[in-house]
Amino acid sequence: MMRFRVAAALWAAVAVSSLATNAYAQTPKPGGHLNIMLREDLSQGFAVHETSTISTSYPSLPCFNNLVFFDQLKRTESLETLLPELAEKWSWQDNFRNLVFFLRKDVKWHDGKPFTSRDVKFTFDMLREAPEAQAKLRINPRKDWYTNIEAVEAADPHTVVFRLKRPQPSLLLMLASGYTPIYAAHVPPASYRTGCVGTGPFKVKEWRKGEYVDYVKNPDYFVKGRPYLDTLRYVVIENRGTRVSALQAGKLDVSFPGETTKTASEQLKKAVPQLVVTPVGQTVSDNIIMNVKKPPFDNPKVRLAVSYGIDRRGLIQAVHQGGAVLGASLAPKPWGVWGIAEQGLQPLPGYGKAADMKDKARKLMAEVGYTPEKPLKVEIVTRAIAVYVDMASFVINELKQVGIEATLKQVETAQWHAMATRGDYQIGANLTGLGVDDPDANFYENYACGSPRNYSQYCNETVMKMIDQQSQELNPQKRLEMLAGLQKKLEEDAARPILDWKLDYFTVWPHVHNMIPHNNIYNFGRMTDVWRDK
Amino acid sequence: MKTYLAQRLGIAALTLFGMSLVIFVLLRLAPGDIVDILFSTGGYVNPSERVAIEKELGLDRPLWVQYLDWIRHLCVGDLGKSYRYDLPAWEIIRPLIPVTVELAVLSLIIAVLLGVPTGVISAVRQDTALDYALRVVSLAGLSMPSFWLAMVIILVLVAWIGWIPPVTYVSPWENFPLHAIQFLLPALAVGYRSSALMMRITRSALLEVMREDYIRTARAKGQSEKTVIWSHALKNAILPVVTVIGIEFAFLIGGLVVTETVFNLPGVARFLVQAISWRDYPIVQNLVMFIAVVVILSNLTVDMLYGVLDPRVRYGS
Repeated sequence: MMRFRVAAALWAAVAVSSLATNAYAQTPKPGGHLNIMLREDLSQGFAVHETSTISTSYPSLPCFNNLVFFDQLKRTESLETLLPELAEKWSWQDNFRNLVFFLRKDVKWHDGKPFTSRDVKFTFDMLREAPEAQAKLRINPRKDWYTNIEAVEAADPHTVVFRLKRPQPSLLLMLASGYTPIYAAHVPPASYRTGCVGTGPFKVKEWRKGEYVDYVKNPDYFVKGRPYLDTLRYVVIENRGTRVSALQAGKLDVSFPGETTKTASEQLKKAVPQLVVTPVGQTVSDNIIMNVKKPPFDNPKVRLAVSYGIDRRGLIQAVHQGGAVLGASLAPKPWGVWGIAEQGLQPLPGYGKAADMKDKARKLMAEVGYTPEKPLKVEIVTRAIAVYVDMASFVINELKQVGIEATLKQVETAQWHAMATRGDYQIGANLTGLGVDDPDANFYENYACGSPRNYSQYCNETVMKMIDQQSQELNPQKRLEMLAGLQKKLEEDAARPILDWKLDYFTVWPHVHNMIPHNNIYNFGRMTDVWRDK
Repeated sequence: MKTYLAQRLGIAALTLFGMSLVIFVLLRLAPGDIVDILFSTGGYVNPSERVAIEKELGLDRPLWVQYLDWIRHLCVGDLGKSYRYDLPAWEIIRPLIPVTVELAVLSLIIAVLLGVPTGVISAVRQDTALDYALRVVSLAGLSMPSFWLAMVIILVLVAWIGWIPPVTYVSPWENFPLHAIQFLLPALAVGYRSSALMMRITRSALLEVMREDYIRTARAKGQSEKTVIWSHALKNAILPVVTVIGIEFAFLIGGLVVTETVFNLPGVARFLVQAISWRDYPIVQNLVMFIAVVVILSNLTVDMLYGVLDPRVRYGS
């Protein structure tokens, strides 16, 4: 009995000391440096508002702040995970027609000037191209996000009011995107192409073109005791093999969002078992764009046949080795918030059993006069980038089985968007990344009549009404139901058949803490709470 | 000599003029321009914004005006402004040059140190097992692209010892041993291929010279085999090797794209490819002109060296 008591006491002591050790291990340690992977140089410097590439937004995040931002420690982004950043709090007023932000009073720009409501007004007047805007962006890719804002008023130096034309709960999510930082009113927007005056936790120390971006801790950051790290270096490595080797060899501490495929992560984990791999949604979809203004895709039956004809599950296995999931026009749970779950997708074109779907596709093609013996001949365009070409090659093989003989045309990046916006194509294999996992950000950008990024030029009044209705809906559950209907309608119209939603296998070394990947590649990486214990 | 030099410089100026025209026209023939790329980073195109950017960058002007403007500025040392980075082109190009020159020179040193002695040994021990072994090694060097070898080096290092050289440029003043390692591995990958070429040229040139009468005479006069080979034969066989060194150096300045990319070295060739994909005309045009100048100067240097190495070659006498 005595022996048992001693043993029990020893176990208890070990358990308590182990708990204490764990608690100690989880206590953030200030100081240190991180090397972070970048796959290409910053395309437009730190001018986040002039680009839609993660190569600009991700390495710029530590320099900036938003009014509100997604909780960096929570993986899934939603209205519930929003936190105030430059705003201390916010308030919806006048039945969701006015959104009032009460700003922090202790914020300074990196050049020492105080941050005020003037900066907020300056930024959003510029973004929505208001007549009273003090500056104009060279290119403005997200103007459509702000069409519902009637006015931005700086009520006093620390209060800003967004007056909306109609209620739009999603506006908050768009304001929290990594693509919506606040610019300084006293700095010309063009200067962000070469440097960065932000309010963020880190200050840009040096940008060696094509090599790296160095950051140092902002000692005046408004969150006391943050950031934990002293310095950051975003290292540009263009060769994929070298990038992976550098991560494996410990020359890099953190991978690049959207960079690590399932296969690569498995290889990395096999080589270095202690690496921490987190599967996470990217909010990037593989999809088919068909020009609805040009034959033969002006015929809904041909578009539907294409959608029925592509085996999405086969694509996920063959091209992504299982590193993607089925979904309609919004990413499904748990990888996204608004998408239709797999069971709900079954009745939709292309999501059922592959053989049945192909039969339906052949019937539709036969109805418009095409058979595998007398196929429809088309040219499928795609960007001359491996991830696009792999997907397009698979699609071509699938379409061949339903009476569509497609030849592949690879288009250089320099021409891709111009070609797609002008509609100089019949059918294309495309990738679409959403700045935020939000219906408004997606639908107004990619499906709304007249939007420059609505590459298929699909325009349907009923759909537009559905988009506007869901956008104004304040009840989340009701909105979710409306969105299910909208997504079904878009797939049934084959407006832009979605083939899959890609997953990322975000990889970090175990000494990196609080670097939590989100279900959207654009909105994490502020680095305020990240620390290292080595 | 002076007349010859003046003639060569005149030809060089003409060549550079031709090059400037070719690169200017070719770049504009390639589909898309910087404005397309800028819009592609935004994911859309707006015709009116497009016009404004073209005007801002001076791309709305007639091509001949753009060309003359570039040449005029080039003549006074102004390389223009990078479209992509919005900074003076020279500010961007300047740090790239020492990296590439260092890598090229180091690769050539390795190539000469490996290639010439093995070529001599192979020639002297013609048709022996050693000769065959060295020829196999050199053939392997010629068959293996240096970029492939570079990738293999990286993969082997990371798989075997979990280490790779630094992935950001380390200045020699900052940490010389690390700098040396960073350059030595890519230089070995590139130098091995070049050494194979030099070994074969040295071997064949030496074999030819060794059959000359004056070699027989030297031997008949009782000179040691070492003196015969190193002082008489090699001195006369080295001219083709010098030519190859010149050509290789010129090639390496612009041809190390993949090696620089694999080892993540911020050199001229890697940056040139990036600049081409961005249609950053000021950077591309000036980098190509820089490479053309290096090619011309290295050829000129080789020709001048002929005169030094071979007394029968005296220009303008």
